[in-house]
Amino acid sequence: MSIRKRSTVAVLAVGVLALAGACAKGGGGGTPAAAGNPSSAASDRGPSADTAPKIAIGTADDSNGPAIAPEGVVKGGAINMIDRDDYAHLDPGRIYTNVESAFALMYARQLTGYKRIAKNDYKLVGDLATDTGQASDGGKTWTFTLKDGVKWQDGTPITSGDVKWTIERLFASYSTEGAPYVQQWLTQENYKKSYKGPYDGKHLDNIETPDDKTVVFKFKEPHADANFALAMTTYGIVPQAKDTKERYDKEPFSNGPYIIVNHVTDKSMDLERNPNWDPATDPIRGAYPDKWHMEFGYQNLQATDRFIADAGDDKKTFSFYRQVAPERLQQVLSDPAFKSRLMSQPSPYADYYYFNLDRVKDIKIRQAINYAWPAKQLQQIGGGPVSSVISTTILNPTLAGYQEYDLFNKKAKPEGDVEKAKELLAQSSNPHPTIVYAYNQTPVQERITVAIKAGLEKAGIKVVAKPLNPKTWYDSITKIDNGFDMYWGGWGADWPNAATVFPVIFGPIVEGGQNVSHFKDPEIQAEIKRIQGMSDADEANKAWGALDKTIMEKVTPLVPDVNSIANSLHGSLIGGAEIDPINWVVSPNTIFVKQQ
Amino acid sequence: MLRFLTRRGLSAAFILLIVSAVTFFLFFAVPGDPARLACGKVCPPETLVQARHNLGLDQPIFVQFVEWVSGIFVGREYEGLGHCPAPCLGYSFVNQEPVFGTIVDRLPVTLSLTVGAAVVFLLFGVGTGIIAALNQGKPLDKIASVSSLIGASVQIYFIGTLAMYFLVFQWQVIERPRYVPLTEDPIGWAYGLLLPWIVLAIIFTANYTRMTRSTMVEQLSEDYVRTARAKGMSARTVVLRFALRGTLTPIATIFGIDLASLIGGAIITETTFSLQGIGRLSIQSVNNDDLPMLMATVLLAAAAIVVFNVIVDALYAVIDPRVRLS
Repeated sequence: MSIRKRSTVAVLAVGVLALAGACAKGGGGGTPAAAGNPSSAASDRGPSADTAPKIAIGTADDSNGPAIAPEGVVKGGAINMIDRDDYAHLDPGRIYTNVESAFALMYARQLTGYKRIAKNDYKLVGDLATDTGQASDGGKTWTFTLKDGVKWQDGTPITSGDVKWTIERLFASYSTEGAPYVQQWLTQENYKKSYKGPYDGKHLDNIETPDDKTVVFKFKEPHADANFALAMTTYGIVPQAKDTKERYDKEPFSNGPYIIVNHVTDKSMDLERNPNWDPATDPIRGAYPDKWHMEFGYQNLQATDRFIADAGDDKKTFSFYRQVAPERLQQVLSDPAFKSRLMSQPSPYADYYYFNLDRVKDIKIRQAINYAWPAKQLQQIGGGPVSSVISTTILNPTLAGYQEYDLFNKKAKPEGDVEKAKELLAQSSNPHPTIVYAYNQTPVQERITVAIKAGLEKAGIKVVAKPLNPKTWYDSITKIDNGFDMYWGGWGADWPNAATVFPVIFGPIVEGGQNVSHFKDPEIQAEIKRIQGMSDADEANKAWGALDKTIMEKVTPLVPDVNSIANSLHGSLIGGAEIDPINWVVSPNTIFVKQQ
Repeated sequence: MLRFLTRRGLSAAFILLIVSAVTFFLFFAVPGDPARLACGKVCPPETLVQARHNLGLDQPIFVQFVEWVSGIFVGREYEGLGHCPAPCLGYSFVNQEPVFGTIVDRLPVTLSLTVGAAVVFLLFGVGTGIIAALNQGKPLDKIASVSSLIGASVQIYFIGTLAMYFLVFQWQVIERPRYVPLTEDPIGWAYGLLLPWIVLAIIFTANYTRMTRSTMVEQLSEDYVRTARAKGMSARTVVLRFALRGTLTPIATIFGIDLASLIGGAIITETTFSLQGIGRLSIQSVNNDDLPMLMATVLLAAAAIVVFNVIVDALYAVIDPRVRLS
C-alpha cells in the first residue's frame, strides 16, 4: 500500500519509490497510547513520534466480529467525504496506495487485516480467514481457513477457489499496479515471466485448495510475515465468477459492508449497505453509516475552509486525506474551538537524504554531514514542530522492532553540531569537501536546499546544488551513474516491520532500482538475507531494529529527514474519526454520524 | 457563404491536425515515462514492460499518432477493453475509460460556466461602455473607467478565493458553487454557478467596457452618425441603431476569442470554484501524464478557437453590411 498519488507530478517528484510509494504499517515497539474512543481522544492527539501504534498478532477469538465500537457510536445516517482525487483503481489487485486502500476497506476483504483495539493499539487478525494463518515447513507453507458465513454481495459463499483465483489473476498482463510480494514468493522476482495468469486455464500448483474453506500457500523460501503481506489491499479477494479482468477495475464485486451504487469518475461516488455482509464475521469494519456520498475535485484550501465554516451538510463531512491547508494551520491549531474536530498523526513513512556511496566514499565525511545537518531549519520550513518531528533513525517508529537511537546528536543540537562536524572532517580524507546535491525544483525544495547549503557550509562543506525536473526526478536519481553526491528519497514499509524496508532500499543495485545510495556492504546484506529467512517474526523484528543502528554506525548511507505530521479537520457531526496510524488516512472503520 | 464556410472548414481541419501532431510529439519530447505510474511502487522490470505495452507506449510514436487519428474517424479496438467507437479519442491512461465520454461529461460544466458568464460580462461590459461613452468626461465615465481598470487588474485566483472565503465560508450569504445540470433544475443550475459567473464577469467586463467606450466615442463622431442626428433622429435611435452597430464589430472579435478560450478550459476558475469542467480535466491530464486525455482537451480548445473564429468572421457580415465575405 502506498501513500496516495497527490498528483502524478508530485508522485514522480518525490520518487515513485519514495513517499509516493510508501506504505507503512504501524508496528510494535511503541508504547500504546491511551485507549479509547477516537472522537473523545482527539484532544490527546498531540503531534509526537510517541504516538506510534502497537500492533500484535491476534488470536482466532480476536478474529471474530463485530468490530470494537467506538464510544458513543451511532449507527445509520449518511456521511459525506470530500477529497481532491478520485480513486485511480477499484480492483483490489491494482491498488497499492494508502487512500485507495482505506476506501477499499468498504467493499474488499483480505484473508487478514488490522483490527483496532484502542487508539494506537492494533492487532493483525483474520479478516475472511478464521485467524492469521498457520505457518509450517519453517515458514514456507501457510494455511488459511475461511470463516463460515462470509459471502459475496449476491449471497454466494466466498471459497478457497476465489482466494487462489485472486492471487493468480495478479500475474495477468493487465495487472501491473499492485504489490508484487506474494507473486514473487510463489514464483520468482520477475514474476510476470513465469506465469501469465489463470485466464487460459493454467493454474499455480503451489496454491492448494484441498476444500472450499482451506487455502495453502507453498512459498519457495520462508516468509515469517506472509500473514502481514496478505493484509495488503492488493490481496483483496476477487470472485472468479464475477472477474471481468480489466473491467473489474470499474465494477468490483463487494464482499465488504458496502456496495458502490453510483460512480461518476473524478466527480462523485455513492455507497449503500451490502445486505450479505455479516458484521459477526468482520472484526475490522464497524460500517456505521448507512450511506456514503463522496465528492472529488476539492483543493486543500477549499476543503479546509469548508471544515472551518462547518455549515449545513459539511457538518457530516470528512476527508480521507485532505490535510489542513498550510494557510489555515496556525488558525486551526491555535483556536480551541477546532480541537475536538482536529486529528493529528505522525507519518508512518520515512524520508531520507541519501548519500551516493560510490561518490561520497569517506564515512567521516558522511558522518560530518549528519552532524552538521540543519534539521531544525528544515523542520521550520515544513511548518515547525506541529507539522513534523526530527527523525534520527532509518526505520520509522511505527515499525515493529524499532529501536530509538541518536548517533549524531540531532535531538540535542537540531540546528546542527558544527564543531563536531569540523572535528570529523579534520580526520577525513578531505577537510573541505564539495557535495553535489540534487534537488527537486519545487518552491519548497528550493528553500530546503538553501537551508542545507547554509548549514553545511558552516562546517566547511561546499554544496553545489543541482536542480532536477520533478517529472524526471525518479529517473535521474535511480541512474547508477547519476553524477550526484546526495539526493532526497523516501520509503515506507508495506507492512509494519522492516521486511519491506532494508531488503529494498539496500537491495540490488540496478538501473531504475530502489537502492539509490548504492549500498553494497556484504556483511550487512548477508545479515538482511539472514533476517529475511527467519521463521520467528518477533526475533526477526528485534534483528531488524538492531540492524538499523548498525547500518548507520558502520556505513551511514543517509541522513534521516524530518517525519511529517498529518493534521486534518472533520465536520462537527462526525464521530469516531481518527487518522489510521498504519496507513495515515482517516479510517472508515470507526467513523459515524452523530445524532443532531 | 457556402464557399466561404467550406474553405474555412478545410483550413480549420488542417489547423487541428497540426495542433494535434505538435501536442502529441511534444508529449514524447518531454522527459518522463507514463508507464511508471501504471507500475507499482516495487516495479519489477517485466511488469514495467507490460505496463508500457498495456498503454500502447511500446509502439513507434508515429504509429501511435496515426492510430490515434484514425480512431477519431473509424474507432479503435482495445485489448481487454473492447471497441472504442468513433469518435474515439483514446482510452485515458489514468481512468481507463474512453476519453470521449469524459469530455462529454465535463463539457456541460464548462459550457454552463462560459455561457452564463458571457451573458453577464457582455451585457454589463457593453452597457457600461455605452453609458461611459455617452457621458464622456463626466463622473459616470470616470467611475466606469476606474471600475474597469480595477476589474482588469485583478485575477480570478485572487478575487475568486476572496469571494469564496468571505461570501461562502465566512458570511455564508451564498452557497458554495456547484454544478447542477440545467435540465434537472434550472434555478439550481443558475444559483450554483452564480458566484463563478459574477467573478468571471468582473474580470471580463472591464475589457468590454473599455473597448465599447472607445469605439463608441469614435463612432459617435463619424459622419453617418452626424447625418442621422441632422435628420432629426432620436438620440436613442442614433446610438442603438447606428453607433452601436459600428461598435459591435471589434466587440464580436474579442467576444469570440473569450468564449473560445473559456470553452477550451477555464482552468483557474474551475480550480478556484472546484468545478469539474474541461479546464480541470486538462490540468489533471498534464499532471497525470495522461496523453489521450491531454490530446482531447487540447483538441477541444483548438477546435473552439477555430470554430469561433469562423463564426465571428461570418457575424461581421451580419453586424456590418459593408463587410462582404470573400
